[in-house]
Amino acid sequence: MGIEPGRLHFSWISSAEANKFVDVVNEITAAVKALGPNENFLKTEARVA
Amino acid sequence: MKVIIINKEAWAGGLERLYDSFRLFGPVKQDEFHIFKELSKGELPDMNLLNTRLSAKSMVYPQSEKMFEFTLDENRDDHHMLKEIHKDYSPRAVIGIRPCDAKAFLLVKANFDSPEYKDPYWIKSYESTTLVGYACNNPSSTCFCTTAGCGPFHEQGLDLLLVDAWDHYFAKVITEKGENFLAAAGWSSEADSDTACDEIETMRQAAEAKITTRISTDKLKDKNTTELFEAPFWEDVAFACINCGTCTYLCPTCWCFDIQDETFGLSGIRMRNWDSCMYPLFTLHGSGHNPRDTKRQRIRQRFMHKLKYYVDKYEDGIQCVGCGRCISHCPVNIDIRKVCTLMNGFEP
Amino acid sequence: MLAYIDKIKEISNRLLKEGKVDMVIGFRKGTVPMMNEPCFVKTPEDVDNFVWDSNCGINLANYLTNRKEKIGIVAKGCDSRNIVTHVIENKIKRDQLVIIGVPCKGMIDRHKIEAMFETEIQDVIEADDKIIVKGQGLEKTLNKKDVLQDNCALCIHRNPVIHDELVGDPVEEQKDLDRYEDVRKIEFMSPEEKWRYFDDLLSTCIRCYACRNACPLCYCPTCFVDESRPQWVGKSQDPIDTRTFHFLRAYHCAGRCTDCGACERACPMGIKVRTFTRKLEKDCLELFDWEAGLTLEERPPLDTYRPDDPDDFIK
Repeated sequence: MGIEPGRLHFSWISSAEANKFVDVVNEITAAVKALGPNENFLKTEARVA
Repeated sequence: MKVIIINKEAWAGGLERLYDSFRLFGPVKQDEFHIFKELSKGELPDMNLLNTRLSAKSMVYPQSEKMFEFTLDENRDDHHMLKEIHKDYSPRAVIGIRPCDAKAFLLVKANFDSPEYKDPYWIKSYESTTLVGYACNNPSSTCFCTTAGCGPFHEQGLDLLLVDAWDHYFAKVITEKGENFLAAAGWSSEADSDTACDEIETMRQAAEAKITTRISTDKLKDKNTTELFEAPFWEDVAFACINCGTCTYLCPTCWCFDIQDETFGLSGIRMRNWDSCMYPLFTLHGSGHNPRDTKRQRIRQRFMHKLKYYVDKYEDGIQCVGCGRCISHCPVNIDIRKVCTLMNGFEP
Repeated sequence: MLAYIDKIKEISNRLLKEGKVDMVIGFRKGTVPMMNEPCFVKTPEDVDNFVWDSNCGINLANYLTNRKEKIGIVAKGCDSRNIVTHVIENKIKRDQLVIIGVPCKGMIDRHKIEAMFETEIQDVIEADDKIIVKGQGLEKTLNKKDVLQDNCALCIHRNPVIHDELVGDPVEEQKDLDRYEDVRKIEFMSPEEKWRYFDDLLSTCIRCYACRNACPLCYCPTCFVDESRPQWVGKSQDPIDTRTFHFLRAYHCAGRCTDCGACERACPMGIKVRTFTRKLEKDCLELFDWEAGLTLEERPPLDTYRPDDPDDFIK
């Protein structure tokens, strides 16, 4: 669809795994930040007549 | 009637000169069909076509069109105020528009430019446009313009009519706009008017003879609206309909639109988009009630509007020019000619 | 074909006379070449309206949604699969239906045939496996198999998977087809290339929703594009909104699409909208060994959970 791999993550985390949750969120945030904004789906103006 | 001969060798050169004073639009082939597009300098319109897939209405009335802009930034004095958007209404010319599409502008004008209501966007756009028509030497089998108040060489609504005569075009001058267009192109070789008109007349007759399908509209006006509204045939007509917007979007005479606001951060625009009476949303009330909740009601509305309400309201024939697009491209083959026959011949 | 038509009429006549059904849904002759019109017949006298040929590409399951009558319905392979899907999704009850199955050798692609000729096609005649195309100064015989709708050329369920009557002997199913060559090509593209490819694919879309409305799967009372609170997608010609519509529509068909081709056939702009749904069809086949609409006995993969569902994507 034109979305880079790495922008979407899935994880199994049990409610007892607080540390894993923190780690995964940190990892994901870092990975997505590194990719920069995906402007493909960002509408900053309507491209119409 | 003034007729200019445009030698086809002088065609590209003339268009080249026109770019200085006009934005030019013309048919170009995209994928398997023709559409109207703004021509870039040096780009030629493709005159080898039956007709464009979409009508020329978007040349004056785009499918999506900005109306106003606004800001929600309360630090600014003009926040929450609709402001007009500057638009390019410099002279433009639509080359290769078929007579049916040109006549359609006149039908649409009844809605956008009436004594009571003036639509500024449509009017400004329409007035800045020169319509350079292109007579149909070879109408297609779904054309029924001759019985829809139009014809393959029809001049109503046009500024100029081009007639393809092998190595040259005859350009029949219809309005001053047309005259100015020719002057800007530098096409000035005047034909002997009588001979040219005779020749065009012969071609017109040949073209009209090729139109084999006809509709009868003579009794529509006398029909009782309520009886027609309640006619039993609507169930059968509507059955196949999938309520897509193909017929309305391809139609040169459908004019309905919907207004939408869109915001982007603190700025925003108000725009209008073509709408279609085939969609349930078209008539959905804020209360949740929908007076045209079923497809039978919606399809009846489309045909009643074109073939009855318009006829009664404007006393200027049907709201259809017989271009046949809705017939060729309806995904389920609903044919306005058939429906018109049912309506015109209906006896309660 | 003629034998099929006679049989369709005969069965419909019988069903209506015996009061087994209130109506029969089928096709009547179109008014333009390569088009027939879906229609219903309620009395035995009208069954003569029915036709059958290679221009019956509309999926008739679309006309069953939420109907209350007892209905006889003419169904080719793909229609029958969508009837199954409809029954599973409670859009119609199996016992409301008498399915008149039609073994099918594919429908012809009017977009494709029109694009082959400069002149307008005024008449198309079908004889066995040949298609004779006529127009002004034009007469050409084509092989039907060369001008099939893309989905029909790749079809492996030509015979109705469910039926109460059958109008002819089952036809031979196509075997050993490479059904996803085109999808693989797109899969190999980089995200940027994909983006450009879809951008280009959808550039002529006019948002008429013919693809959505021709699809038997799209029966939501309010489609997400029509919602206003919240408004999920803009309504203009903005390319982002157009793409969002097509992407989301395709996802809503995941595990349900039978690749009947109704969407592509309906598109007035000739957009290859199946490009989206076919990727999802391929995924469902590879991940869940699932083809939609083959059986009433099994729930589709996207509304069931199995412990052995593939989960490689979960890190």
